[in-house]
Amino acid sequence: MTTNMLTDVKMPFCPGCGHGIIVKSISKSLEDIGYQPNDVVIVTDIGCAGLVDPLFNTHTVHGLHGRAPALGVGVAMGLNNKNKKVIVIQGDGGATIGLQHILEAARRNINLTLIVFNNLLYGMTGGQISGLSTDKFKSDRDLEPGIPPFDIVRLAHEAGAVSSARVVSPRNFNEYLKKALDAPGFSLIEMASMCTSYAVSKLKELEEYSEEENALTNRRAPVEATFRQTSSLFDRLQGIPRMFGSKIHQRLGIVLAGSAGGGVQSAAMLLAKAGTLSGLHSTMKGEYPVTVGTGFSIAEVILSTEPVHYTGLNKPDVLIIVSEDGLSVAKHLINKNVLVLADDKLDVSQYPEVISMPFVQEAGKRGAALSGLSEWIRRSGMLELQSLVEAIGKHKHGESLLKALFALEKKS
Amino acid sequence: MKTEEQKKIVLTDASMIITEACVQSGADVFIGYPITPSNRFYQYGGNRFPLFLAGPDEITVMQWMAGLSTAGRFPVTATAFPGLALMMEGLNMSYMMELPMLLIITQRLGPSTGSATTGAQGDLGVLHGAISGGYPLPVFCPSDFEDSWYLTHEAIKTSIALRTPVVLLTSKEMVMTSKSFDISDLKPLERLSMNFDSDPIELPYQTYRSGQKMVPPFVPAGNDEYQVRFNSSTHDNEGMIRKNNPESLNNTRRLKEKIEKRLNEYTFFEYDQQDDSKDLIVSYGISAEASRDACAEWRKSGHKASLLIVKTLLPVAPDILGIIRQFERVHFVEENITGLYREIIFGKMHADSVFSVEKIGSMITPEEIIKSLQS
Repeated sequence: MTTNMLTDVKMPFCPGCGHGIIVKSISKSLEDIGYQPNDVVIVTDIGCAGLVDPLFNTHTVHGLHGRAPALGVGVAMGLNNKNKKVIVIQGDGGATIGLQHILEAARRNINLTLIVFNNLLYGMTGGQISGLSTDKFKSDRDLEPGIPPFDIVRLAHEAGAVSSARVVSPRNFNEYLKKALDAPGFSLIEMASMCTSYAVSKLKELEEYSEEENALTNRRAPVEATFRQTSSLFDRLQGIPRMFGSKIHQRLGIVLAGSAGGGVQSAAMLLAKAGTLSGLHSTMKGEYPVTVGTGFSIAEVILSTEPVHYTGLNKPDVLIIVSEDGLSVAKHLINKNVLVLADDKLDVSQYPEVISMPFVQEAGKRGAALSGLSEWIRRSGMLELQSLVEAIGKHKHGESLLKALFALEKKS
Repeated sequence: MKTEEQKKIVLTDASMIITEACVQSGADVFIGYPITPSNRFYQYGGNRFPLFLAGPDEITVMQWMAGLSTAGRFPVTATAFPGLALMMEGLNMSYMMELPMLLIITQRLGPSTGSATTGAQGDLGVLHGAISGGYPLPVFCPSDFEDSWYLTHEAIKTSIALRTPVVLLTSKEMVMTSKSFDISDLKPLERLSMNFDSDPIELPYQTYRSGQKMVPPFVPAGNDEYQVRFNSSTHDNEGMIRKNNPESLNNTRRLKEKIEKRLNEYTFFEYDQQDDSKDLIVSYGISAEASRDACAEWRKSGHKASLLIVKTLLPVAPDILGIIRQFERVHFVEENITGLYREIIFGKMHADSVFSVEKIGSMITPEEIIKSLQS
C-alpha cells in the first residue's frame, strides 16, 4: 500500500483555482504529522471542494451538499479511534447550507477537522453568493451589500470547537492546518481560495476581499462514543403471574375519561395489570392531544378470556368519567348498554343512566380515575379488588394510589 | 404446553419488542429525534442500545446514521412522516452508498403534521416512490407482537445481506398499545455481523465491485487493510464519480437487481386459505388483526373467505400476486382513504372484483370488513 497521501490523478479544477494549493497543503500537513493514508477518512461535500476524493489515497466518503460535517460526525463516532483522522471538506456554500451541522459537531466536540474552502461563492453553479461571501466582495458586485457574512470561525468557537481558525495567505496554510489537524476534538479551518472563473484571479485581490486571519481555541476534552453493555429490556420486566380469579366472560371494554395529569393513563395501566394478574388477556392504550400536559386524557382497556387481536374499543361496557375534559370527549359513548360512573360535580343530568359519585372530592384529582375503577369493581365484582392492590404493589406512588383505591369504600 | 412457571407474561408494546429485537440482532446504535408516535423507541433505545445519540433533527439523524454505517456500525432510527420527509435526502444517499441501516416508521394521520397521536396507514405510497428512479426499497410490516420480534430480525438481516437501508413500517396503534404477552414465546435472536452473507473479497478491493450475489462485500471506512471509497453520486466500482460510463451505469442498475434477485429470501406473508373460497381479504400492519377477527367471524357464520396478511410490502413479490390472482373478489383493508397497497397491486384500473375497506381517524373494525364481504 502506498504511503503517498495524494494519487497521481490530475487536479480537476479550473486553471488558477486555489483549491489545488489547499489540497497539496492538506496532504503535506498530514504527512508531516505522520499519518498513513489508511489512517485518514476524508468526507466531502458537493461543489468544487467536493471534487477532491480521487486526489487522495485515503479512505473517502462523498456525500451531499451541506451535509458532510454531519456525515463526518457519524464516521468519527463510528470509528471511535484516536489514531484515525476524519477530515471533512466543504466549500463556503456547503458551510452555509449545513451551518447547523457544523455547530452541532462543535457543540459535541466530535474528533474531526472541518476544512472550509472559501472561494467567496458557489463556483459549480455559476458564481452565486453564499453566506460566507464577504461584505466587501458582495458590495463590489452590488449583491446584498450591507449584509455581513457568517463568521464561521467565531460561530464554531462559540459552539465549542477546540480550534477554530481562518487562514488567507498560502504561506500560513501548513502552520494553520497542522494545528487544526492535531487538535484533539472538533477543529474548523476556513481557508481562502481563488475562484478564477467567478471571483478573483489574483492572490492580492483575494486577500483584500477576505476577512482577517484569526485563530481561536477552547479547552475541552473531545467527546467519545461510549458503546455500553446493556441488559435485555425483557429482563427488566417483572412477570405478571395469575393470582386471582375473575367473573369476566369473553371480552369486556373499559374506558377511562379525564384530564391530562389526572392519573387516567396510570390507572388504566394498573387495571390492565390487574386483569393480567386475574388470568385475563389485557390491552391498554391511551388517547390524548399532542400537548400531553393539558386537555383530555382517555384510556381504553380490554380484558378478555381470549387473546385480543383487534384492539379498538368502539362500544365499551364500562365508562368512567372524572372531569369536564373527559365528559366532552366521551359523552358520545354514553348509552343504556354502558355502565357509566361519573364524578358527581359533572353535569350529566341529561343522562339518567349515569351513576354519579364524589370521586374527585374523596380521592383528589389524581386519584379520581382509580377511585372510579375500584367503585366499578366493587359494584360489578368482575375482578377482585385485591388484584388492583397487587398491581399497585411497590409502585413509587403506592401509598397515594392505595388511598385513592379505598377512598370511596365507606360510601359504597 | 407450557406450565405457568415457564411463562413470563408481561405488559409490553411493539416499541419495546422491536427495540430488543434490534439489539439482539446486532444493531448497535440508535439515533433519533423523538417525534410522536415514535417516542417509545427513543425511550427504550436510550436504555438498550450500546450507543444512543439524540439527533437535533431528522436530516442530521440520517447523516449520522450513514456515517456510522460507513464505519461498520448498524444504525437504527424511528420516526413518523414529518421526519421521514426530512430523511428522504439522506435515505437516497445511503441507498446509493449501499449502507445497511434500519428506519422504523411509525405511521400517524397526515397529510403534513396531521394528528400526531392518531394512527394511520398512509406512508406506503411515499416509501414506494422514495428512491429517485423508482428503485426498490425493502419495506417490512409487522402485524402483531410476534412479527415485531422476528420480522425486525429479518429486516436487519436483509439490510446487511443486500447492503441497503430497509424500512420497518408500523403504526401508532401498534407501537403504543400495551398488551399482556408471554415473552418466553420469543426465541433469542442470532446476532448478525456485517458481511455474514457477502461474496468474498477480491483483490484489489473495490467498494462497489460485486460477485455472484450482486452485493459488494462491505469493508468499513478507516480500516487498515483496504482503501474504501463510499460515494453518493453515480460512481464506478472503485467508488469514483463517473458520469454515464458503462461501469457506473451498471452499478446503478445493480441497485435494483440486487434487491429483486433475492426477493424470495425475504418475502414474508401469512396465508390462511380456505378451500373453495372466492373472497380474499388482503391486509397488513395494524389492520391485520381486525382482518383476522373478521375472517374468523365470517367463517363462523357459515361463509367462506381466505386471508392474506402481507409482511414484506415492498418490493411486491410474485408469490403475493400469485395468491391474489386466484380469487374472484379481493378486499383490501388498510387505514387510509386512497387504497395505497391496492393501488400498488392494481394501479388505477379499478376492477369490479377489487374492493377497498378504507378509513381515516380510527382503526378499521372487523364489522367494516365483514360489510365489504357482504357486498
